[in-house]
Amino acid sequence: MAIVTTRGLSKRYPGATALDALDLEIEPGIVGLVGANGAGKSTLLKILLGLLEPTSGSASVLGFDALHERAALHQFVGYMPEHDCLPLDMTATEFVAHMAQVSGLPRGAARERTAETLRHVGLFEERYREMRGYSTGMKQRVKLAQALVHDPKIMLLDEPTNGLDPAGRDDMLDLVRRIGADFGISIIMSSHLLSEIERVCDHLVLIDAGRLVQSAPVATFTGETGVLVVEVDDGVDEFERRLTGNGLRAARQGQLVMVALDGAGAYDLIRDTAADLEVGLVKVEQRRQSLEDLFRQNENGHATRN
Amino acid sequence: MPPGTEHAGSIYDLGYRPYDGPRLGRRHAVRTVYVESLRAAYGLGRRGASKVIPITLLVIGLLPAAVHLGIAAASRQDVDIVKPEDYSSFIEMIIALFVAAQAPELAGRDQRNRTLSLYFSRAIERRDYALAKLGALVSAMLVLTLVPQTVLFVGNAFTTTSALDYLRDEAPDIPRVLASSLLISGFCASVALAIASRTSRRAYATGGIIALFVMSAAIGGILDATVGRYGIMLSLFDLMTGATYWIFSAGHEYEVPTGLMFAAVVAITAVSVALVLRRYERIPA
Repeated sequence: MAIVTTRGLSKRYPGATALDALDLEIEPGIVGLVGANGAGKSTLLKILLGLLEPTSGSASVLGFDALHERAALHQFVGYMPEHDCLPLDMTATEFVAHMAQVSGLPRGAARERTAETLRHVGLFEERYREMRGYSTGMKQRVKLAQALVHDPKIMLLDEPTNGLDPAGRDDMLDLVRRIGADFGISIIMSSHLLSEIERVCDHLVLIDAGRLVQSAPVATFTGETGVLVVEVDDGVDEFERRLTGNGLRAARQGQLVMVALDGAGAYDLIRDTAADLEVGLVKVEQRRQSLEDLFRQNENGHATRN
Repeated sequence: MPPGTEHAGSIYDLGYRPYDGPRLGRRHAVRTVYVESLRAAYGLGRRGASKVIPITLLVIGLLPAAVHLGIAAASRQDVDIVKPEDYSSFIEMIIALFVAAQAPELAGRDQRNRTLSLYFSRAIERRDYALAKLGALVSAMLVLTLVPQTVLFVGNAFTTTSALDYLRDEAPDIPRVLASSLLISGFCASVALAIASRTSRRAYATGGIIALFVMSAAIGGILDATVGRYGIMLSLFDLMTGATYWIFSAGHEYEVPTGLMFAAVVAITAVSVALVLRRYERIPA
């Protein structure tokens, strides 16, 4: 059953359209919401949370209407906004426990789950200190913890790696992956970085200018392509000519040679050709399509449309 | 947790436990915001500096009662310096300073920290949130107005020649004290919150609230002396005093009916509450 459904969902501002008749069905799992800045990602998340009213159309989350049944829905939703949202004069423990109670948890349970949740996101002794002294990474962890503390069924994370250094980014992505895969909580995570989505998510929703471009499992975008990438340490031109002479479809691309993988014989021919020419084979691997390619295709398509 | 494993860079699999306990929903969420805001109005659960202003004002608000009781105790006879219907006008400046200092704390803080989106995506509605904040400030004001009057009442009962006579004579005033305190608390809290909820800037909100009370009193006084007797209706302080006199059916020197002043207080309160609710319906989160 779909956890998120939108029908003809539009959000228009004077002079701008953030969402344009968006029809969407999202299944449980870890879902990446990708698009350039201004594509409508944050607007979509806010409508799903009932924070924004759509201009037209409807959205439902976990079977609840996102606008009219939000009080019931919100007990089961966790939201991590993109922007700063922490009162820096409170400690992480006080703040997260307070938010747990506002989500409907009794006081005792709120305290207990706060301690557990902060441990899960990797905050230990510092949770008793005022948050004004926290690094960006620690603040992001608290933001994640307050979205997790009431054990939601679905979490909406808006650019969770925003502002993090590479190490912090890795930690945050691991955490998101863990929450989705091990804790069994569905996640919709927005990002403008495809590499992040590729790493964490099972499913990808690509939106552009408020319209749906693609919605499919991540694997379908990153499958093997039937092209071998070959790198040799010397004589690239000669190597490519010999391969073509031996009946392979080969093309040079920078210092690499792309070889179509037509049959099992291709590997042997590459090896033998390299041996004949006495050049070293640095790399022979199947090329995988990356989401970056897809994104580039989309952008090109967009450019030609305009 | 074994020693040496505590650093923030790593995640340890301690096993995630789902929560299957009760979810108390909206009423519990509203009560949580109410209690937290009421505590915050007196700086409880906040750093020490947050307590200085509200507690100082509460103590100053007790001074008229303390002076009265001190004189009564020293003179060993019944004194009638501070009457219950006058108490709020004795401490009107304290009341205004309190809402000016603390309404921005209750309304502006979550806007400043951009915490509203976290609240509004939880088991609480925008309207609930606004009413919880309003309720908290009204309650804080009730503490400010009722504590001194309770001290005065109990103190009088002890220092008077006959406690029983005092209680019998003054008992009818108890509901009037409660009613007038509630009216003034609701009035000041809603007016102040209507202003404070407009901005995340603390200084603007505090300045605006003080300016409203002080300027309205000044303008009301000037108009009263020049244009006509209804000019006094512009003074929030005088409206509060007049409405209190009306509740106590007390003698006064106002040239306009105190019933009219009472009605004006109720009307301004209603408009202010509507403004607060409207603000939170529309505030971006």
